[in-house]
Amino acid sequence: MAIARKDVQAITANLQVWLPMLLLPLILGIAVPLGLVLVFRFGADSMSPSDAQAVLGWAEKLPSGAVAAALAELPELSQRLIYVGVNYMLAPFFLLIPLMAASVISADSFAGEKERGTLETLLFAPVDMLSLFIGKVLAAFVPAMALSLATLLLCAAAVNAAAWPLFGRIIFPQVNWIPLVLLVIPAIALLAVLLNVFISARVATFQAAYQLGGMVVLPMLLLVVGQVTGVLVFSVPVVLGVGAVLLLLNGLLLWQLLRRLDRQQLFASQVR
Amino acid sequence: MNGTPFIELNGVQKGFDGRPVLTDLSFSVARGEIVGFIGPNGSGKTTTIRLLNGVIAPDGGDLAVGGFDPRHDGERVRRMSGVLTESAGLYPHMTGRANLQFFADLYGVDEPGRPDELLAEFGLADAADRKVGTYSTGMKKRLGLAKAMLHRPEVLFLDEPTNGLDPDGIRMVLHYIRRLNQRDGTTVVICSHLLQQLEIVCDRFLFLMGGRVVEQGTRAELEARHFPTVTLEVETDLALAGSEYRGVRAERVGPGRIAFTVPGREAIPQLLRSLAQEAAVYSAAPVRRDLETLYFKITGGAAGE
Repeated sequence: MAIARKDVQAITANLQVWLPMLLLPLILGIAVPLGLVLVFRFGADSMSPSDAQAVLGWAEKLPSGAVAAALAELPELSQRLIYVGVNYMLAPFFLLIPLMAASVISADSFAGEKERGTLETLLFAPVDMLSLFIGKVLAAFVPAMALSLATLLLCAAAVNAAAWPLFGRIIFPQVNWIPLVLLVIPAIALLAVLLNVFISARVATFQAAYQLGGMVVLPMLLLVVGQVTGVLVFSVPVVLGVGAVLLLLNGLLLWQLLRRLDRQQLFASQVR
Repeated sequence: MNGTPFIELNGVQKGFDGRPVLTDLSFSVARGEIVGFIGPNGSGKTTTIRLLNGVIAPDGGDLAVGGFDPRHDGERVRRMSGVLTESAGLYPHMTGRANLQFFADLYGVDEPGRPDELLAEFGLADAADRKVGTYSTGMKKRLGLAKAMLHRPEVLFLDEPTNGLDPDGIRMVLHYIRRLNQRDGTTVVICSHLLQQLEIVCDRFLFLMGGRVVEQGTRAELEARHFPTVTLEVETDLALAGSEYRGVRAERVGPGRIAFTVPGREAIPQLLRSLAQEAAVYSAAPVRRDLETLYFKITGGAAGE
């Protein structure tokens, strides 16, 4: 726990670390959703019918009839656009936020330890490798989750406030966000952390770890592209499917990492 | 050496990427001893500390610290040992106090005042709330030492503990090591090539070369072995005829300076008395036989910094 606490304090104490990390959630998690609501709220009437249909038609790909029923109850075009927009188009952003945050923190936490020459000191301490590993994972996972959930709360507040005059009720998030928040976001944050541990235990420098770790973002971008092009819509089954794949990957990585959790091997490969 | 060995190595071997570092390392250290581990860079001093703390594994041989094999009981060994690594291993973005507090938590130190006590002891109380990144090399070294002592270890492994320290800092550190050893009976292994400093504080010396201990002993034992005779340089107006003076080998080494070589310290008073009766004696000093001279004699003069 001491390690996790120390790492979290290091993040919060260092403006250069957490300020850029806040920027992405602020833009993707708050500014973009708010902008989306405002554009649809005030600009729906001036949208060409084909554009509006593109957004709504995209929602028709959703398998459940619940969305169609919900949309049928909304008389205004702007209401339907906002409802679909915030509930189904924002999901990938909330995958990128934990992914980026967990990558940045964990790359610093592991490779940084090595770069500062403090890994040697840590390995000289009477702390078993499992505790060291758990402490390090928690130190990146907890702040990444906190940041993601806080962003989601702020996003919900902003979106519902901006959409209130049109709806008079809370419209975001809908039920499809439950598996996203409970399953996919934690799973993706954990995956980013575990991958960074895996990578930084094998490469020499912080830069190399960071670059390789950044490659985790690529599959996520595919999800975003899939979402935007309408190939993939974040319905409950899709979210559950993505969650299951992520859990499987996490399980595999964890198994590999725990199997190789060896102080002497780590020391020999990482400490000069 | 008295008592059962606290640290014991027998035929330990260790290599990296096919390059042998330790070929046949055997030595022992008694509980409560301060031992100087001397050898040129790359001779395996740091590797030995790492092996003894179980953070790397030997390729062969046996080793034990406090009765535990670091390979299998590394946790127990690390619990009783304090290590100062060459780089001190501190977090630059944290204050001195926060660093000590973190390591106190890590080592399970259950004394809330311990970090502050050590900060004061090492003259860092005023800098306790400054980030370690702003510390001088000497301050970092002292903080690293304080860190190694947090959990009151039974054995201290110090890798170049006085590197980068100013004379005041060196005196403070050596004084502390000596006091700690006398007060708590802490066993101390100091790796260094700053030999003059080791002379002040160590009970015994181990010379490491070619991956094994090539010589060891107390200062007196080493001197007796390597310097069977004593050379005394005397400033005198004695008129020396030949290469002998009353049966003692003598050689003029400069204007008014003669070097006398006697079989041992015991012969010095008699020599000086005789000299004083026959001529004026202005000064007399034994020719330098410090650890450095010994070191070069043992390592064949090839291994210097």
